[in-house]
Amino acid sequence: MSAEIKIFFEIAEKIFSKKIDHTVRINNSYDNRKFVELLNELKKSELTKILMKEEFGGANLCLGEIVPLIKLSSKYGLPLPFSETIIANYILSELNVKPLNDFSTLCYETSNITIVDNKVSGVFKSVPYLNLTNFILAKINFNNHHHLIYFENKSGKLTQLKNFLAEPRFDLKIENEELIYFLDLPYMINFENLISNIKSIQSVGAMEKILELCIKYCSDRKQFGRSLSKFQMIQNHISEIALETAASGASIAIFQNQSKNKELNENFFDLKNTAIAKIRTGLASGKIIAASHQAHGAMGFTKEYELSYFTKNLNSWRNDFGNETYWQNILGEMFLKQNKGMWEFLNQ
Amino acid sequence: MSEFIFPYVEETNFLKNLRLEVREFIKKIFKKNFITPSPDAWVFGANTDFSKQLGKKGWLGMSFPKKYGGHERSMLERYVVTEELLVSGAPVAAHWIADRQSGSQILRFGTEEQKKDIIPKITSGECYFAIGMSEPDSGSDLASVKTNAEKTSTGWKLNGRKIWSTGAHLAHYMIVLVRTAPQLENNRHSGLSQFLVDLSLPGVTINGIEDMTGQKHFNETIFDGVQLKKEALLGKEGEGWKQVVGELALERSGPERFLSHFVLLDNFINEFRSKISDLGQTALGKIISELQTLRAMSFSIASMIEKGQSPETQAAFVKELGNAFEKQLVETIREMSNLIPFNKWSPGLKSLFEDATLRIPSNSLRGGTSEIMKGIISKQLGLR
Repeated sequence: MSAEIKIFFEIAEKIFSKKIDHTVRINNSYDNRKFVELLNELKKSELTKILMKEEFGGANLCLGEIVPLIKLSSKYGLPLPFSETIIANYILSELNVKPLNDFSTLCYETSNITIVDNKVSGVFKSVPYLNLTNFILAKINFNNHHHLIYFENKSGKLTQLKNFLAEPRFDLKIENEELIYFLDLPYMINFENLISNIKSIQSVGAMEKILELCIKYCSDRKQFGRSLSKFQMIQNHISEIALETAASGASIAIFQNQSKNKELNENFFDLKNTAIAKIRTGLASGKIIAASHQAHGAMGFTKEYELSYFTKNLNSWRNDFGNETYWQNILGEMFLKQNKGMWEFLNQ
Repeated sequence: MSEFIFPYVEETNFLKNLRLEVREFIKKIFKKNFITPSPDAWVFGANTDFSKQLGKKGWLGMSFPKKYGGHERSMLERYVVTEELLVSGAPVAAHWIADRQSGSQILRFGTEEQKKDIIPKITSGECYFAIGMSEPDSGSDLASVKTNAEKTSTGWKLNGRKIWSTGAHLAHYMIVLVRTAPQLENNRHSGLSQFLVDLSLPGVTINGIEDMTGQKHFNETIFDGVQLKKEALLGKEGEGWKQVVGELALERSGPERFLSHFVLLDNFINEFRSKISDLGQTALGKIISELQTLRAMSFSIASMIEKGQSPETQAAFVKELGNAFEKQLVETIREMSNLIPFNKWSPGLKSLFEDATLRIPSNSLRGGTSEIMKGIISKQLGLR
């Protein structure tokens, strides 16, 4: 971790540890005073600007440097579009337009998009956190070209999606909303790959939290006269979680290293490494969800206890942007098409 | 401690070129000496001529000091050479243990005499080692070893039995963990010492044990009143446990924990590339992801060792994940052949598959069982 990101990390940890508890996670609405305090503190901290260029008031850090910060936010279960805002601000800044001083969210799937006189209409699918922000950066296909649009939803129709997610998501239908920015999507920004990497990083943060919860719960709770953690079967579950968390951490470290230069380039979103991390974290998520719930017994199945918040997030992120099988297929195809030996492919 | 980090270490162009050099060498020597690749070759594939050739190339004892015949190259260079040898199925079993751990153990704990006498022979590929840890009554519970050494006027008298020592029948020496004092009540790891035992001494008997594949690669070694000189003690008397734990990081963290059966995968792909189904394609994606992650973890440990750290727990992570990966790999290759009946496989591929299938149960037993690895991890997590 560079000295600079360490400072931001410490600021974030101070805010998260002081302001996030489970009641904030499960009631992240403007009615909740504690949640609003968290929101205000984060806005004041300007943490979401760390990747932005200095000319826009950012810290100009490299993309790879945000890994510890994103991991930390998901480890604390931060119930806000934090990573979404960092990425939206980063992309807008890289495309030389000034990001707004507010939270934003991202959208990757749209339908029936029309743009007339700088006004957009259409359907935006599965957009996270539209209960908390109205600013949306969306990737659209318009006139057979990929573009990015940034706009504020003022009067669209929101439908909250009914699913297993801890993170709230919505479908949004809008008519004639004014665009703030309409931008060409440069070839080197692979939006889906970038966000897939973010999902893998977020997953590792949740895994680290789940491991901590399992250790604490199983050490505190006694059955048959001794702590659950003294039973070998429980130790087996928890060591399995530690193993899978460590492997997942190693798989995202490749992204962290690859994106260590400031200059935007296509390596940031390398398909092969994106797939490796998404597959590895997805596989680990399945095992960790099962083992952690088993170790917790019925308590882990309640909404009141915090484990389920993190396992729901893992379930969500492992399915976002293609599950393991989807990426396995891409990676397998990539290998077979190249007509190279496996070892050569692995060492490219 | 609940966080285990494996920092990413980038492979430099220098290391990439070293890979190519090793690959070229292997290709040539295989052709010249009619060597065929085999799975699990670091256990089963002994070829002393090949070991000597590696010694000549400077690829044994790579990180050892030059004054003892070593090459003072980094652990990362050694890692790259090791990977290339494993994926080619090269016959490296003769020198494997000496190069991987015994040489380092002598360099860390041995006397100047021991270093001068033995290390140059290891680096030239002429001196081989076996591990003397397990006993008939002490498997996973290593601290309960009963083989003992008593002090005599000239040195030590060694009595006892060691078992499951891979390659002892080819080895010149064995580093033997023995009891030199009774166990203290409050410290079951006390009273243990390591000895450097010349296996040609009178009183040493080595009996091969046939494994389920019908091969005799591991052995029982009997020590019947073996007279050892004082200088045979390796390191300090009573510090055997501490010494042996350090050795395990070298034993458990390397790429042999997940590349032992790469030869099978490679041959399967080469033979049936055009017939691999969608199911097979998806399975390959999973293999690539898991393998690259394991390589990153193992390479990261090599870098930790290079920096003088002792990543014993991280080594347990690589061993456990690597072993699980390889077990699944053999099973996946079976599944990938859903469009290719077994009777259509070439005799060579069939033989690789049969060998791998029969040998794979041992991968999570040798070098510490899965249960022991998870025990180590649990202890680090504060659960024990």
